[in-house]
Amino acid sequence: MKALIVEVIDAKRIGELVTVGRIFGDTPDVVALGTGDIPGNYNKAYCSDAAVGSNLIDGLVELIQKEGYEVVLLSATTVGAEIAGPLSVRLGAPVLTEIIGAKSDMTVTRPIYGGKAMTTFKINQTPAILTVRRKYFESAIAEGTTTPVPLAGAAGAIRLVSEEAVVTEGIPLDDAEVIVSGGRGVGSGEKFTILRDLAGILNAAVGASRGAVDEGWAEPTMQIGQTGNIVAPSVYFAVGISGASQHLAGIANAKCVVAINKDEDANIFKRARFGIVEDYAKVVPALIQALQEEQ
Amino acid sequence: MHITVLAKVVPDYEVPTADFELTDGRAHSRYTRMIGLYDENAIETGVQLKEAYGATLTIISYGKTQDVTVLRKAIAMGGDALHLVLGDADDPFVIAANLKMAIEQLGNVDLVLAGQQSADMDRGVVHSILAGMLDYPFLPQISTIKSEDGRWMVAQAHENGIRRLEFSGKGVLSITSSPKNVPRIPAVRSILAAKKKPVEKIDGIPGTPMPVAELSVEIPKMESVCEFLPLDDMAQTCKILLSKLREERYL
Repeated sequence: MKALIVEVIDAKRIGELVTVGRIFGDTPDVVALGTGDIPGNYNKAYCSDAAVGSNLIDGLVELIQKEGYEVVLLSATTVGAEIAGPLSVRLGAPVLTEIIGAKSDMTVTRPIYGGKAMTTFKINQTPAILTVRRKYFESAIAEGTTTPVPLAGAAGAIRLVSEEAVVTEGIPLDDAEVIVSGGRGVGSGEKFTILRDLAGILNAAVGASRGAVDEGWAEPTMQIGQTGNIVAPSVYFAVGISGASQHLAGIANAKCVVAINKDEDANIFKRARFGIVEDYAKVVPALIQALQEEQ
Repeated sequence: MHITVLAKVVPDYEVPTADFELTDGRAHSRYTRMIGLYDENAIETGVQLKEAYGATLTIISYGKTQDVTVLRKAIAMGGDALHLVLGDADDPFVIAANLKMAIEQLGNVDLVLAGQQSADMDRGVVHSILAGMLDYPFLPQISTIKSEDGRWMVAQAHENGIRRLEFSGKGVLSITSSPKNVPRIPAVRSILAAKKKPVEKIDGIPGTPMPVAELSVEIPKMESVCEFLPLDDMAQTCKILLSKLREERYL
């Protein structure tokens, strides 16, 4: 099955899509957004400087029809969300988003009801468009690089005026082996400081639940869950997080969850490996103390 | 300026996994019905645009008659009219075709807002298919919208930060949550007034579903067994936790 990846130049994101592509057949071809060489070896690689995914649709339609791609793979990120739907209409193609499982017979699995249920679909027509939830597939190791050829047709209705990257202090969530994450139970934005202190000692990234982001205590880029970052750390400290299914969907592949919550009935304990039923304001300082004593 | 917000009524999205049951592959009918959470963010954004620019705000939904009572909340929040296209399909192309029909019937819509994703199907795709069908530009994850000199200036909550984008003319935007669009709680007076508003009901069309077969729907089991740590001496508890994390090579 001939597959095409559309993704920004990012070894991990492209690598996950290569893994999915190989389930359906050989290593896919790539359209990379951005400039520079693409990590990995590909038969055909294209690049586009389109800043906004929506502006890339015309060029993609032409390429997919000309080359006869049967599967288009995007990750379930902003770019993927921009492209998948409009592209499916233009191609008359089925589209399944946020998939977390795939088999060579074109069956795919995706969550519904906030991750409380899983649906399996059989795709009966190509081309098909899939967006793949991050961190559910191993990232294929990219050997070498490929120099792409520019893809025509990046004009469009939308203009990028400016971009403000949020500079994360310390380790980015995507790469972190340890994550300390806070929810509504933390109580205020100031109180997130103690989570940052703990993260500092553990060499960890700081995350947040949707509740904490809605309160304005944490940046939207820190949100972990179904509609935030999907993470797969070795240890995930859930502090004052009740553990709604939409949050758990973001940590499904975390190896060990440590829950600190004063409500013993909180759903997070059903997902946790270790649990401490106590006010985090007592636990976190003691944890920091214990870590400092070790040093 | 005429703004429409697409709103979908779903089963209670806060039902915990342990209490969640399916019948025929869909949520059991006993759960309370409510407007999806991102849809409420979109309604709030629409109401703010109405307040800022004197826009007309029409709420459009595709679903069943019995959900009208739930949808009236959108009127109580500040919507001017409610249009319901009758139907019960889950296919995104069918839903989008029905919403397109309702938007074209209105005739003069400038901007279409929708929640980032529904609180039942979790797919975030109906609005973008609709944009494709209408041939309007589509932008996901928008947190703020302004109108300047006939152009829309929007902020997009991108994975890496905020992007400021602009476009002219019509468009479909999906709305993400931000502290600025936390849905308002309507006053009792508004709730009572909303009950009297007429609802425009439109017969749905069959549409063309995707060539995809739904094979199964299952509730996965959560198998983690939590080890609760002793609480007598917190310093000791933390030492135990750290040694266990190291023993099992997590840290």
